[in-house]
Amino acid sequence: MPEILVIIAASGDATDGAERSTSREVAHVAQDIASQMGWQWGKVFVPTDYIDACAEALAQHAQSARLLLMAATAKGKDLMARVAGHLAAPLAQDCVGYRVDVSTIIFRRPLYGGKLLADVQYAASPVLATFRPRTQPALGAAADVLQHVIGLAPEADPRVRVERREAETGRALDVTEAAIVVSGGRGMQGPEHWPILEELVSVLGPRATLACSRPVSDEGWRPRAEHVGQTGRSIAPDVYVAVGISGAIQHVAGIAGSRCIIAINKDAAAPIFEVADYGIVGDLFAVVPALTKAIRVLKAR
Amino acid sequence: MKIAVCIKQTPDTEARIRIGPEGIDEAGLTWIISPHDESAVEQALQLKERQGGHVTAIALGPGRVESAIREALAMGADSGLHLACDVMPHDAVVIARALAEAISPRAFDLVLTGEQSIDQAGSQVPQRLAVALRWPCVTAVESLQVVDGIVRARRPVEQEEEAVQFAVPGVVGINRRIGEPRYPSFRGIMQARRKTIEVVRVQLGAGPEMVQRLQIPAPKAAGQVQEFGSGIEREVANLLAGKAAA
Ligand SMILES: Cc1cc2nc3c(=O)[nH]c(=O)nc-3n(C[C@H](O)[C@H](O)[C@H](O)COP(=O)(O)OP(=O)(O)OC[C@H]3O[C@@H](n4cnc5c(N)ncnc54)[C@H](O)[C@@H]3O)c2cc1C
Ligand SMILES: Nc1ncnc2c1ncn2[C@@H]1O[C@H](COP(=O)(O)O)[C@@H](O)[C@H]1O
Repeated sequence: MPEILVIIAASGDATDGAERSTSREVAHVAQDIASQMGWQWGKVFVPTDYIDACAEALAQHAQSARLLLMAATAKGKDLMARVAGHLAAPLAQDCVGYRVDVSTIIFRRPLYGGKLLADVQYAASPVLATFRPRTQPALGAAADVLQHVIGLAPEADPRVRVERREAETGRALDVTEAAIVVSGGRGMQGPEHWPILEELVSVLGPRATLACSRPVSDEGWRPRAEHVGQTGRSIAPDVYVAVGISGAIQHVAGIAGSRCIIAINKDAAAPIFEVADYGIVGDLFAVVPALTKAIRVLKAR
Repeated sequence: MKIAVCIKQTPDTEARIRIGPEGIDEAGLTWIISPHDESAVEQALQLKERQGGHVTAIALGPGRVESAIREALAMGADSGLHLACDVMPHDAVVIARALAEAISPRAFDLVLTGEQSIDQAGSQVPQRLAVALRWPCVTAVESLQVVDGIVRARRPVEQEEEAVQFAVPGVVGINRRIGEPRYPSFRGIMQARRKTIEVVRVQLGAGPEMVQRLQIPAPKAAGQVQEFGSGIEREVANLLAGKAAA
């Protein structure tokens, strides 16, 4: 049994090729820690549709492991919290960094909506940790590691019965996994104006997607899956473009990990400009189409 | 139906956080019920209003957390349970153990919690609590109904939405998006003074977590903010085109 297990949510017959970038980022962490500690690492594919049975099976399987890692997606966090309960083991959720200090592994987590960073370590084995998507480099070529698939017979009587599962957005790319995120706020004035953001996303290509502020999803202008912030998703794209968003502290809590923030707002005093790397003061209905046009011209060259 | 709501007292979301000798410096902070937990109190009250029952607000922590319990009582909770200790524990192993020990003998039908606390963002207490109690658990819930002991909930999971059900007892982690909580009315505040808060002293014991270092992230260097038309838009377009091509 390898000391480090990377847990990968598999639906159906997911193979290595179908592994999401979030899992490859966690594999990178595993490989790095394994080499520093002189440990082995392996992958465990788990079916997450029956989460309680899955957590129990995983806890059984992982008893003698030292470290269990998973991507901090909604499913990943929920599953690992249950596994940690079964193993009475510590769990660091949503880590944004780590380091190995002699033989101790130290995890870095944002606290208080990102106002503090904590470095934590654990006197226990195993230790569980989830990593926030896009905070770690992804492991490239499929490393030759041990792989294990946990199979579960569909439960006759699951404790929690899933009656229905529906796709909320038609988009292939999840907001946590996009390199470029274009996000609309209340300044967009209504869902009928979203085509200007969609056009911008479309010229930016397949690594770009849409997000929004909380009032926008509360109003039903956009799907909830796009809501970022303290009560929504936390994201860390290469570029975050905030359009008609004031930059409330609860919004910024979810986007502070972005490597570059571009803000477009007509109010020069909007707090979003305090965290922006680039700010364009102006009417978004003029600025956004102008940007889209300029990028299209640049790409045509 | 007997409903328990676990509420954590946290600094206000707008609070400026400073580091003290032991954890954060608590001097001058304004305290609130963690936002998701406050919405959990609201849901418990709505369930009670629809079908009757009793709502108990449970908070683990030092003396100051009684004001959070008092606030839940003013919103309409019927009684409070204060699990009293000297300092606020942040280790989820310790917190879940203490909550489970208090909840287990009290025969609740449903335990509501927040999806995560906004201070530590541990995102694990409801699941740990459910495992300890051997109860079902759903979290990140944004719509909740209970009819004849069957809990029906809806929750987003990444880009999907799930509709789930289970039979009580169980643990439900609530997301704030389920709805804003009510404000305590003047009458509610007056009535809260006569409601009882049971105080149970708890011995927490050590947990596995050791905080090695806390730090305040370095402030970002000031960005370039200019009027549309000044040329900034060309710079931004170049940057975006470059990132799109990368
Ligand atoms: C407990 C709690 C949790 C919360 N969690 C979240 C969260 O997770 N995510 C979140 O986003 N919010 C959250 N909020 C809400 C947050 O406080 C703000 O209310 C919200 O972020 C504001 O959204 P907004 O910026 O879209 O709208 P507004 O604050 O209304 O800002 C709109 C902006 O658009 C600009 N504007 C208007 N018209 C134009 C135009 N034509 N051109 C250019 N600019 C224009 C305005 O100048 C303004 O700055 C939370 C609040 C609380 C209390
Ligand atoms: N000290 C506490 N007292 C009561 N409930 C708590 C406490 N700490 C955490 N909880 C509950 O557990 C939920 C999740 O917390 P966490 O796992 O820290 O994100 C919170 O939203 C609360 O409902």
